[in-house]
Amino acid sequence: MRITLKVNGGTYTREVEGHRTLLRFLREDLGFTGTKEGCGAGECGACTVIMDGKTVNSCMVLALEADGANVETIEGEASAGKLSVIQEAFDRHHAVQCGYCTGGMIMSVRDLLHRNPKPSVEEIKEGIEGNFCRCTGYQQIIEAVLDASGQLGEGPGQVREGRLEHA
Amino acid sequence: MKGVPEALRNLRGETAYIDDLPEPRDLLHAAVQLSEGARGKILSIDPSRALALDPAVRVVTAHDVPGENQIGSAVPDEPLLPEGEWEYWGQPLVLCLAPTRQLAREAARLVTIVSETLRPVLDPREAAGQDAFVMPSRTQSMGNPGAAFAAAAFTAEGRVESGGQEHLYLETQGAYAERRDGDRVFVISSTQGTTIVQRAIARVLGLPQSGVEVEARRLGGGFGGKEDQATPWACLAALGAWVSGKPVKLYLDRATDMRATGKRHPYSTDFRIAADKDGRITAFEADYYQNSGSSCDLSPAIMSRTLFHAAGAYRIPNLRVTGRMCRTNLPSFTAFRGFGAPQGYFVIEAALDAISNRMGFDPVELRRRNLLSEGDVTHYGMPLKEVRAIEAFDRVLEKTGWKALRADIEAFNASHPLEKRGAAIIPNCFGVSFTKLPMNRGGALVHVHADGSVLVSTGAVEMGQQVSRKIARIAAKSLGVPLELIRVERTSSLTVANTVPTAASTGCDINGAAARVACLEIRDRLLAHAATLRASGPGLLSLEEGRLLEGSADTSMTWKQLVTSADESRVDLSAHGYWSTPGLFYDMKTERGSPFAYHVYGAALVEVRLDCLCGRVKVERATIVHDAGTSIDPVVDLCQVEGAFAQGLGWALLEELRFGADGRPMSDNLSTYKVPDVHFLPARLDIEFLSETGSPASVLNSKAIGEPPLIYGIAGYFALLEAIRAARGDRIESWDLPLVPEKVLGLLAGTGRVLGQKDLQ
Repeated sequence: MRITLKVNGGTYTREVEGHRTLLRFLREDLGFTGTKEGCGAGECGACTVIMDGKTVNSCMVLALEADGANVETIEGEASAGKLSVIQEAFDRHHAVQCGYCTGGMIMSVRDLLHRNPKPSVEEIKEGIEGNFCRCTGYQQIIEAVLDASGQLGEGPGQVREGRLEHA
Repeated sequence: MKGVPEALRNLRGETAYIDDLPEPRDLLHAAVQLSEGARGKILSIDPSRALALDPAVRVVTAHDVPGENQIGSAVPDEPLLPEGEWEYWGQPLVLCLAPTRQLAREAARLVTIVSETLRPVLDPREAAGQDAFVMPSRTQSMGNPGAAFAAAAFTAEGRVESGGQEHLYLETQGAYAERRDGDRVFVISSTQGTTIVQRAIARVLGLPQSGVEVEARRLGGGFGGKEDQATPWACLAALGAWVSGKPVKLYLDRATDMRATGKRHPYSTDFRIAADKDGRITAFEADYYQNSGSSCDLSPAIMSRTLFHAAGAYRIPNLRVTGRMCRTNLPSFTAFRGFGAPQGYFVIEAALDAISNRMGFDPVELRRRNLLSEGDVTHYGMPLKEVRAIEAFDRVLEKTGWKALRADIEAFNASHPLEKRGAAIIPNCFGVSFTKLPMNRGGALVHVHADGSVLVSTGAVEMGQQVSRKIARIAAKSLGVPLELIRVERTSSLTVANTVPTAASTGCDINGAAARVACLEIRDRLLAHAATLRASGPGLLSLEEGRLLEGSADTSMTWKQLVTSADESRVDLSAHGYWSTPGLFYDMKTERGSPFAYHVYGAALVEVRLDCLCGRVKVERATIVHDAGTSIDPVVDLCQVEGAFAQGLGWALLEELRFGADGRPMSDNLSTYKVPDVHFLPARLDIEFLSETGSPASVLNSKAIGEPPLIYGIAGYFALLEAIRAARGDRIESWDLPLVPEKVLGLLAGTGRVLGQKDLQ
């Protein structure tokens, strides 16, 4: 079947088989390999993309369902080579180790900050609870989101000596 | 990681793991059919239904292996593809190649394998009863435990169980292979060790190692799971490429990965412990039954580390520990961060828990009283230097205000019938070096280019632990140039041969040291050249941040000018560096020696809150004090402590690896195996490094960081046990890790056993 969709602002028209997932379509047909398959079962969040303003696990969405949709992936996060505020914060706070979860994680954070520009730590946790990271203990990621949302300053609940104090 | 191009590529989604690489037009995808049944025998293989799918489909079996059908490195007990019997549920039986991933997987499913099932052995004690071992048992001892038990004021004994743990590296196992020039292969493998893979492929294909080029790019996590167990997949891809003449990619889906690959070894252990009336441990004995799984793999080396860490961070004058490596029909259990040490630690901590109960002695005070101190000699005869166990433990007591915290918890528990808090403190003493001595070496190749830029290749594989960043810092410091000039290349058998896997926390220690050797050699050549230019003694000259200094004065000559001049004067600007960790020796007959370059110390407090009605547990806080030596990169080390702790805590409280009574893998995706999510980690996680004193025998006086902090997760187990005890009003003993909510409810209900299917029927 023929589908037409937007990915990171570009329009693509392709023939797809009915069973093809959006993840496989993005990676193999369009070459957006920044979106990863971690589990293929909608559990790990590594394949998170934004579809029509909402995050989805692209391994659980058929490419056909994305017909007419506007899809955003990690490749669209930086603009003209310049890192986004979220990406810069992830870099600054060492929120990346092996990097395999990072693309999906940043998509979830982007969606969160779009809905809630100043999330609390608890709200950040809810925002990324569908994204597993096996390398970190998530602290650097939470710090990065606080920073990206302009919430790091002086006082308690802040980064102190490289550590997040949010008890 | 900040400022490193590789991390920026990650952030942009540009990092190319194997499955992301552009695919050649004639690529064949590979897939395997796994065994259904924990033990069985292949009677016949009929590929016809698979071959009917597409003319390009190929079905590859054991008969297609041109060399030796064997990948077991220590013991030849691991056929790449079985010819007769298979040994566990999930073992790859045949390989299928096809032009698309989907066709390959369908073909693998359609191969008809007629088989007969055989009775499996799943329990390590049952295996031991049948003398089914992957290696002969091993015993370490010191003093006279028998006499010490006879004379003891207090004794305790018990059984300890610890479960397996799935690595769950987010990037599954995979490899890409090409046959080149007819007689050699090129392989990209998601492996922690290029040489292991190279050697195995050479064996399987009947090629010299020089005909097998293996490259490892950045891995999407490893954690030990890609030390030995990346090998079968790389060999299968290489075999596919060899027989088909086409490039082949084999990438596992998650369920296949979790079913087919090994995990952390489950252990079942009996212990005995004795103490005098003052609370000093006088004797300890343990019999470890390691569930080694279906093949030898790394089990003996892992048992070795269990035995070396049997006493934990404690001084125990009389000790006898025996390790049995039991062959069962489960996946071949393998390396996982900690490598047998966590299993040993859990047993000794359970033993201290038991004896403190028997004595009515405060467990924290008992632990403190028995900590190692300067000059103590381990049960394997190694005198300990720069011991920091007490310093770390006391710092945790001080930071957490332990006495007040304990009183606070007691008051809380007295006034909250349905909620209980618990806390525990665990010390750490972790030996660093491969327990297999010949492996303690590193290699590096350094090129300084005429423009001043520097390319460093080593045997270390980057898998997210930021070893490249540390090695770049070591190179910059050794050459005396700014960090920006250093580029660390991917790991390849073309640049560094005869490598050891990036494992045992030693990746930076040995490869960083090798890079330093090469950098210092080039630096010395450059300084000798500079001395001729300036008619000065090379001893007076030095390089710092890209400037040539004479004494402490700037010479106005830059690094780049010096390098360009040296290049024109035909000075060799490349060097190979080799590092062999000095001072290591071990006598396997007497079980005495000095197997570690140094030990890492530390301590951690974990506090939990238990909901007594539903068994739900919240880890409230963790305070970790850790010894990183003189850190090469404190931020990297901080991230490693945090990540290792998360995995240790997951192992202790959350991650339950289950197999059916017939050996069927029950944990084969994230829906059936839980790993720490963002809510699992404590809201208060405080990590502090001990002051940078002393001079550990390692590169730039740093200490290895990958594995030791995983031990701190064990404190979570004992913290929760204390909360359960507060709820029950007794000192119930249960050392059955992981302490998942089902087990917690069983303990709270008073049965002490897990509510299982029988209760539901």
